[in-house]
Amino acid sequence: MSTVEPTATKRFSFMDILKAPLLIAIALIIALLLLGEYLSPGFASGQQILRLLIVAALMGIVAAGQNLVILGGREGIDLSVGGVVSLAAIIAGNLMGGENSGIVLAILGCLAAGAIVGAINGIGVTLLRIPPLVMTLGMLGVLQGLLVVIRNGIPSGRAAPGLSQFVTQPVFLGLPGIIWLWIVIGLAMAFLLGRTMLGYRIYAIGSNEQAAFMAGMPVKTTRILLFVLSGMFAAIAGICLLGYTGSSFANVGEQYMLPSIIAVVFGGTALSGGKGGYTGTMAGATLLTVLQSILTTVNIDESGRQMVFGATLLLLMLFYGRGKALRA
Amino acid sequence: MARLVAKAVSKTYGATKALRRGDLEVEAGEVHVLIGSNGSGKSTLCKIVAGSVRPDGGQLLLEGRPMTVSGPEAARKLGIGIFYQELSLAAHRSVAENILLSDLPGGLFVNRGALNAKAQRYIDLFQGVTGDDFHADATVETLRPDQRQLVEIMKALSSEAPVLIFDEPTSALDRAQVDRFFEILRRLKDDGRSIVFISHRMDEIFALGDRVTVIRDGETVATKRIAETDPAEVIRLMVGGEETLVAAEPHQPTVVAATAKTVLAVSGLSGAGFRDVSFNVAAGEILGLGGLHGQGQSTVLRALFGAPSPTSGSVQLNGATLNPSSPRATIGRGLAYVSGDRRRDGVISGRPILENVTPIHAVKQRLALASPSALRAKAKPALEALRTKFATFNHPISSLSGGNQQKIVIARWLIDRPDVLLLDDPTKGIDLSAKTDLFQLIRKLAAEGMAIVLYSSEDAELLGNADRILVFNGGRITRELTGEQRTRFNLYQAAYEAGEAA
Repeated sequence: MSTVEPTATKRFSFMDILKAPLLIAIALIIALLLLGEYLSPGFASGQQILRLLIVAALMGIVAAGQNLVILGGREGIDLSVGGVVSLAAIIAGNLMGGENSGIVLAILGCLAAGAIVGAINGIGVTLLRIPPLVMTLGMLGVLQGLLVVIRNGIPSGRAAPGLSQFVTQPVFLGLPGIIWLWIVIGLAMAFLLGRTMLGYRIYAIGSNEQAAFMAGMPVKTTRILLFVLSGMFAAIAGICLLGYTGSSFANVGEQYMLPSIIAVVFGGTALSGGKGGYTGTMAGATLLTVLQSILTTVNIDESGRQMVFGATLLLLMLFYGRGKALRA
Repeated sequence: MARLVAKAVSKTYGATKALRRGDLEVEAGEVHVLIGSNGSGKSTLCKIVAGSVRPDGGQLLLEGRPMTVSGPEAARKLGIGIFYQELSLAAHRSVAENILLSDLPGGLFVNRGALNAKAQRYIDLFQGVTGDDFHADATVETLRPDQRQLVEIMKALSSEAPVLIFDEPTSALDRAQVDRFFEILRRLKDDGRSIVFISHRMDEIFALGDRVTVIRDGETVATKRIAETDPAEVIRLMVGGEETLVAAEPHQPTVVAATAKTVLAVSGLSGAGFRDVSFNVAAGEILGLGGLHGQGQSTVLRALFGAPSPTSGSVQLNGATLNPSSPRATIGRGLAYVSGDRRRDGVISGRPILENVTPIHAVKQRLALASPSALRAKAKPALEALRTKFATFNHPISSLSGGNQQKIVIARWLIDRPDVLLLDDPTKGIDLSAKTDLFQLIRKLAAEGMAIVLYSSEDAELLGNADRILVFNGGRITRELTGEQRTRFNLYQAAYEAGEAA
């Protein structure tokens, strides 16, 4: 009896394309760019697209950590990322104080802060069994309070020129450093999820935690690590955001909480965990940035944009939720 | 005229005939015992009578009139109350609310006083044996297992139905509680009620029953007066004709050399659901664990694997102490565990076959990187050893049949061979050919020197494969069957022997 057979021939159909979130996202990005160009000529110019990609990279880096936490399952979600972005921007601004010499210290300080916040989240979720939604929402509240305290005590600090240059000016092949950083993060995520046992473990825990435990996987340690990574990615985004804006201001990171989740869901990662990847999330972040930009172009203010984002997430849940019910 | 009659009732679930021909006649004023081995169909018959399962064929008569039971509510209206084996209590509600759950008094608003007063009548029946902190207002989740079972019994009694069905009502009760319960049942019987009683304890059956109906393989084989029969005859009826009493199963006992070295030595192991379990397994031996469902076989195997750890006792693996603190720890020491509940414990659903077959290899070799081509090369022989049918390693495991999914879960242990393989009812719900492949492999692994512990809920699998069988009863090993003793009759007799009161 033959056991291992060659690859079954795959039939591609129109429906398969409709089911591929990555392709849908890319198609929507192109459609939105064309729409933007129509509404406001120059919207899809090379310079403008580059600017959009910088903003998308900031969102995409936050979404990388969000992506990992969501993949880990058990209703994994990190609502504290916005608070960490703000915290990192303030810490970075103060540690570098506008001097290039302070950049390394600032990066180390921010990564440590992000890791600590993530570790507390992870411990709360695994050892104290607090649902991730509650744990990270509580953490967000703590961070917001902490930011007010910090802001009352010390000045907000400024970005070092080197950092601003890295984020906004071309450094290699005409692309700014932050876009290269995002590409590197994208490759690292693909490697982590597809070519390391840690990646296999993340998927296993997200899809069936009990089976993962019975197969000897360190479930709790891994889940804590996911929250730590989420905190660190948010911290990296916070540093870059400081470079983008020059100086930090109140709750500068808050705008990232909802979009980081939408980008992940848009990219085809199941909120129930165990299914998805980062490539789709990158497309999702880009798509959301273009959408945001179009809304700005047609003079919809921040509150209106938040409403559109919220509605988008609900629509996505409806769409994917239904797909799941049909498959089951 | 019998009060309740079931005539040739049948029920099929998919490809499984749960009940082929169930006959039952219950008189007014009698305790009628229903007995049969695991999966013989007695619970299905009860559920049909109680309306929670619809029969495919046959006829039900109540007081001589044909009845159709459209659901549990309808059965209750007809006067049939049932106690369910799997506890069905509302954990956060009070004892009183649970007792009267199906018929809460009052209209829109609950009158707590009336509720508690009504419930108190049933609580009083067990006065003196309920244990501490048992009262109408106690929340069910704060109760001990035996107290919860009492609530479940009171709930059935509160239906005040002429026909009461009790499906293994005494499993968690202590001796005093059982005695009181039996007194109550005898009183109800004298009042003319009909009681159908399912139990696995011969002493209970003979202490309480008036008549006994034996079900075997989904068919009613006999109804006897308790006064005119004895335990041996009942067991013979459950096993089947006289001719099958002696070595009917095609078992080829592996001759384990007396000098074979002991691989796993378990001594005085206790934990939730089992007490003071001791046994040795030698290299090349297949040790069977038998007995009724849920007598501790599965929990012992899980405890050895560290999920969760035993509370006391010692385990020696190859002469060194093993502390089963977690699956990760025991896997590293050379243990393997295959659960029959593959959906819960085995299958990493939605993930590719490759990721499902390699996790143990990754743990044992402490792999950090995952090279799909190298992993495929490792996985292929393991899957071939079990004749696993699959298209590519990239297909999700959920695209396979149940039997092939279980083969993949088992194959993950074969890349780096363990010293001890713990099989916890591994063939549950898989097809016949997969079972055959699995047992061929198990015998081959044993022949190559692996020590194997096999629990199976199918007695034929145990008799056909185990070199020795330990029979579990009430969380303890009550009998060891070796050589010619490994017959179905002995297995049943040991399984149904009076369980020691907890």
